[in-house]
Parts: sequence; C-alpha cells; structure tokens
Amino acid sequence: MISPSVSFIDLLGYQFFQHAILGGVLAAFACGWIGLFLVLRREAMIVDGVAHTAFGGIALGLFFGIDPVLSALAVSIIGVFGISYLRNKGLAQSDSATAVMLALGFSAGLIVVSLAGGFSVDLFSYLFGSILSISRQDLALVSALAVAVLAFLTLFHKELLAITFDEESSRMMGIPVKPLSAVFNLIVAVTIILSIRIIGIILVVALIVLPALAALQLRLPFRETVLATVTIGVLSTVVGIIISSFYNVATSGVIVFTMVGIYLLIASYARLG
Amino acid sequence: MGKEALIEVKGLNVARSGSLVIHDAKFEIFRGDYVGVVGPNGGGKTTLLLAMLGLLPRQSGTIRIFGKDLERFSEWEKVAYVSQDAINFDPGFPLSVRELVSLGRLGKRNLGRPLRRDDWSKVDSALEFMGISDASAKRIGELSGGQKQRMFVAMALVRDPELIILDEPVAGVDAATQEKFYQKMSDLNQRKGITILMVSHDLTAVFCRMSRLICVNREVNVAEIRPDTDPNEILRKAYGDHFHFVFHRHECRGEFSHD
Repeated sequence: MISPSVSFIDLLGYQFFQHAILGGVLAAFACGWIGLFLVLRREAMIVDGVAHTAFGGIALGLFFGIDPVLSALAVSIIGVFGISYLRNKGLAQSDSATAVMLALGFSAGLIVVSLAGGFSVDLFSYLFGSILSISRQDLALVSALAVAVLAFLTLFHKELLAITFDEESSRMMGIPVKPLSAVFNLIVAVTIILSIRIIGIILVVALIVLPALAALQLRLPFRETVLATVTIGVLSTVVGIIISSFYNVATSGVIVFTMVGIYLLIASYARLG
Repeated sequence: MGKEALIEVKGLNVARSGSLVIHDAKFEIFRGDYVGVVGPNGGGKTTLLLAMLGLLPRQSGTIRIFGKDLERFSEWEKVAYVSQDAINFDPGFPLSVRELVSLGRLGKRNLGRPLRRDDWSKVDSALEFMGISDASAKRIGELSGGQKQRMFVAMALVRDPELIILDEPVAGVDAATQEKFYQKMSDLNQRKGITILMVSHDLTAVFCRMSRLICVNREVNVAEIRPDTDPNEILRKAYGDHFHFVFHRHECRGEFSHD
C-alpha cells in the first residue's frame, strides 16, 4: 500500500490509517468480548455459520443496490435466529443447525452472484476484508454498531455471565433468560457484520474465537479474562494493520497470524508455568 | 395453626419418562421450618423439589408458594435453590469464588445495574459466614468438593432469601465438614429465621437438628420431629418394613433446632 521508506510517524498522519485503526480497534473490542461468551457457551461455530449466511445478504445488497452491510445485517439476524429456532425446536443439534444455515445462506449468495454475472471486486473485499480502504460512511456504520454492542455488554455482562454459567439457576433467580438470550443472538449477528468490513467473512470467526481462547489459557478470574481477551484482540488488530500497511500484505491474514502467535505463546507459557 | 405456609402442595402427581415418580403428595412447609427431605435413592426427592419450583412439569395437583399459585408466583428473589449437580461445573470456567457468589445478587430487580458496595459487602459476609473467605480469590475450579458446596450456599445467601432449598448439599464430604455445615444451617434457621428445606441421607443429622421430616418414595409422608418421635415409624413408609434406624437423642451434638 505504501513504500517502506514511509516512516511510522508519517503513517499515523494518513487518514486511511486512522480510519483503519479506529474501525479495527472497535471491531476487535466487540468481537473479543462477545467471543469470550460464545467460547464459554461452546457456540463458537455459530459465528462461522452466520458469517457465511451474511455472504448471501451482501450479494443481495450488491445486486439490488442496497448498502451491503445493512442487507447482510438483516440476513444474518434471520440466520442466527434460524439456528436457535432449529435448536430449540429439537429439529437439529447446534452444530448441524449451524451447518444448515451456513449452506443455505452461502447458496443464496452464490445464486445471486451467478445471476449478477460473477464475482465483483466489491464482493471479494467482503470475503477477505478491506480495512485499509474503509470509507468514511462504512466507518460511521461500523462505529455505531460497535457502540451498540459494547453498550449492551456493559449493561448486561453480569447477567450474560450468569446465564452462560448456569441457565436454569439464572431463570430461577429471575433473570429474564429468554429475552436476554434473544438480544445476545442479535448482538452476535451485529458483531459479525461490523467485523466483515475489517477482516472479511472467511476469517471473522478467528477475530471472535482466538482472543478468548488465548486469554482462557491464562486461568484468570472473569474480569481479568475479559480484559486479557479484549487486549489480545485489539493488539493483534493494530499490529496487523501496521504490518500490512508497510508491507502491502492482506491485513486479515496478518491479524490472524498475530493472534495465533499470541495464543501459542500464552499456551506454551501456561504449560511451562 | 396460625403459622404462615410458605409452600402448600396438594394432590401432586409428577411423572418422569412415563412413570409416576411422585404420587398424590400433600404437605405444607411453614415459615421457620427446618425440613429434612429423606428417602431411598431414586425415590423422587429431587423430582419433588424440581416440581415444587416449577422446573419440572406436573401431571396434576396444586402448588402454592408464598400464598400464590406457582404459575403466578414471581418473587423468586425470596427463594434460593442449590441443585445437586451445581458443583459439576466446567473446572476451567474463568470465575473467582467471589465473582461467582456475587452473581447471586442478580435478578429481575437489579437488571443491568452495576454491583454496588453494599452488594459486595453482602458477598464478603456470606463468604465469611460459610467459612470460605480464604478462598475468595481462587478460581472456582480449584476448590474442594466441600468448599464448592459452601460456595453455592453463599451464593444463595447473598440473595437474602426467606426460603432455601438444598439438594444433598453435603454429599461426598467428610464427616467433620458435614457437621460444620449442619451447624451453619441451624444458625441460619434459628438466628436469621430462614426457612430451610434440605435433602439429606444423614438421618442422624435430620433427627438431631431439623424440625420436620418429609419422607419420599413415590408417596410423600410428612412428620413433625419431636423428642418423643419414633423415627422408624415414619422412615419405614419410605424405606420399607425391614428398615431399622438406631437413634439415640443423646448422640446429638450442639443445640436442637426446635426444643
């Protein structure tokens, strides 16, 4: 993207870089926190299912000239509630329900893409993320979604923690498990969509799962685990953006490699200690 | 009687996987009671508790809690329940003991409100009351079985409940720890006036400390425990005619809860 002769200080002055950092940090923050709950609920693969469903939404948006982020959001919300419907009605286990939704959403996308006459550059940017070329309008949307997710988590993380730990006891304690779980599903869909611009459909699952996995190896209490998760996610994203700006390599790839590196480092430290 | 019934059960039938586990149960639990629920394994003790709490559907019968029909009862903050398998959680779950106990403060009324200083002081005093203050910073997976059970009772206590329902809280714990646990529960019952319903296999503890007995083996029989109560008369209804429990009241240590 820029030549290696550009200094780090110069880089800080570029608007594309500032946008990327702001969007990346917000997305990583939301993804990490949501991801910790998903990992503890053993529902990490739902992310992959919903992200692939979102592909259908993006294709539809591009085809009909609607903002793809909004059409993807609508389709993902249908996807995430579809998964929980199949599961709650006993029609499929969680993993199979996810597989069905993943295939259904992705197929819808493929059909629309073929009708439109093939893949466009735009579609590729959603599959693999394009944080370094994020527009001001996208950044505003991503930021608004991230703020909504973080506001929900700030208010209800204790209740979500109780539900994650023991759903039946939480219900008995008078915590409104059903409504909170429904809003949580909604928030999962929103988080995935806001991250697609950053890291892309294929790798969004990594941004959600890896920071939590790495932090859980540290065997800390909950508060500290949340802090560690978010720190790992944000740090990896910033490192990924900086490295990819200098060397003109795929940002999402570098972010994932940084996270895996941190994960391995912590895992081996935990084994030794 | 004049005593306030916290739980009233009438004509209760509960089936699990097709067969009747609780048959025509009828009993009441009054404010201030310390009730032991006894009976052979598989006799339906846990089923009875779950049905009473609305966690298991029933075939027929009425259940009233704090004077309201179970279906219309909403003041769940008054009731704390510690299930038998509460301690079988994922040992890797990232929670400290103090954090877990603080979750007991949550409920409908506090929805979305951050925990305040008085919440945390309730947490700390419950930990101290249950004798696990030293472990408060530990991760929950690091505790021993007995400590885990005391942690869940502490979590129940921070809710300031009027009724505590415990399903085999001292299973698999050594005798000395059990004795301490029963002492704590007697304290709660007598000093704080909390009504306690506890499933237990320790008949000596039940007859020494508790005020009433519910015997469950498909049928449910209730008896007052008095100094002149013959334990075998009621226990045989649940454990069979050949059952014989040798009990001498002078073996009881500590205070009687109801003398």
